[in-house]
Amino acid sequence: MKLTITVDPDLCIGAASCVTIAPETFQLNDENKAVVYDHGTEPGGRVYRRVIEVTTEEKENIILAAQSCPTLAIILTDEAGNQLFPEL
Amino acid sequence: MRHLIIGGGIAGTTAAEELRRFDADASIVLLSEEHHRLYSRVLLPHYIKGKVTRERVFLKKPEWYAEQRIEWYPGVMATAIDPKNRFVATSDGREYEYDKLLIATGGEVNTLSANDRDTCYFRTLDDADRLFERLNECPERATIIGGGFIALEFVNIFADRQIPAELHLRGESCFASVLDAGSAELIKQKAEADGIVFVPRSTLERPHGLLGVGIGIVPDLRLLRDAGLDTNKGVLTNEYLETSAVDVYAAGDIAEFFDPIVGRRVQAGNWMSAQTQGRVAAKAMVGERQPFRLVSSYATNCRGMEVVFVGDVNREAAEQIIIFGSLAEGGVMQHFLRGGKLVGATLVNRNHDRAAVTKMIQEQTPYV
Repeated sequence: MKLTITVDPDLCIGAASCVTIAPETFQLNDENKAVVYDHGTEPGGRVYRRVIEVTTEEKENIILAAQSCPTLAIILTDEAGNQLFPEL
Repeated sequence: MRHLIIGGGIAGTTAAEELRRFDADASIVLLSEEHHRLYSRVLLPHYIKGKVTRERVFLKKPEWYAEQRIEWYPGVMATAIDPKNRFVATSDGREYEYDKLLIATGGEVNTLSANDRDTCYFRTLDDADRLFERLNECPERATIIGGGFIALEFVNIFADRQIPAELHLRGESCFASVLDAGSAELIKQKAEADGIVFVPRSTLERPHGLLGVGIGIVPDLRLLRDAGLDTNKGVLTNEYLETSAVDVYAAGDIAEFFDPIVGRRVQAGNWMSAQTQGRVAAKAMVGERQPFRLVSSYATNCRGMEVVFVGDVNREAAEQIIIFGSLAEGGVMQHFLRGGKLVGATLVNRNHDRAAVTKMIQEQTPYV
């Protein structure tokens, strides 16, 4: 399944909890903001938004990473456009 | 199984959530001194700056506790702990029996002896509400007392609103017990460029205008000492977050835990650590013991200057500190070494080194 992962750089403070939980999906850039990776790679460069293909297990871990963010800077939406996190 | 958690912050609430995941039938009681449901303290500066609404700081919906069948008692504090007879007495005159007890009461803000309506602290949502209210009265000037992360939050808040402010330090510079002179000067230069005046070795008597106080936190250990638990600066635990009393665990700011990565007992006062400890403690409480292993970090940005502490940055506990970069180069990194290994690092405007030092601390390979 596809998952759209967006980091709001204005909210991100570089706490790096997402990097600890899901390092294949999140890394910090030189501005100390989380950027989104596709399974450890960064095609198209370091970006704050990416649509990636994930397994159920990977999706669960990415949700855990988003939940761990103390500033709720990670927004996850599914293929149908439903926001999975943060809950609205 | 009766699980009792004292403290409704991120450590305690995460533990409650995790306990429910492991055991659908257990009784889970969560006592919380604060009246609010779980919120993110890390989001409070964003709320003050108007980046998020007040409602957005809450991390759980009001109905979440009932849905999870967590008995949540806001506004209730423990007044006595009896590990022998396994019960906790509380401020609402009740006694709660337990099979497993988690202490996650965090820390109390150090306060000044004299407080008036101009004195603001910045730990809780109530503190933030008060500060927000006072800021909206458009104070003409402000004073900050302290030299740590909270003091720098006040710097950002006052500078954003273009309120002239003095920052009063007890010592020579900010983070005096952690940073070298060059790192501290980088932060100072950025803040001063935005109108904040640094006053070192301050013996401030009468502050001007709105007063922002950030002089640290200290855990309240009285009940725990009375209960016979081993304490030092926090309540002592091993790497499984077990205290010296049987079936009593600790997590979050109050835990002084054995950190197997850096090889000594430390306290961590950051979100990631508290949250992970809540999870690890819950696992231990259901018999799935695993050591707490995390290289946690503190990160802030003061007027565009990135400040990051990773791992164990206690100067006294370090055997050697090596400095890279300089004030002139615009970025400074310190490496804290012990036993021939890297145990901690500070980075000021050196973000590009963060991943590498975190990995070095995590892996504990000999330092070359």
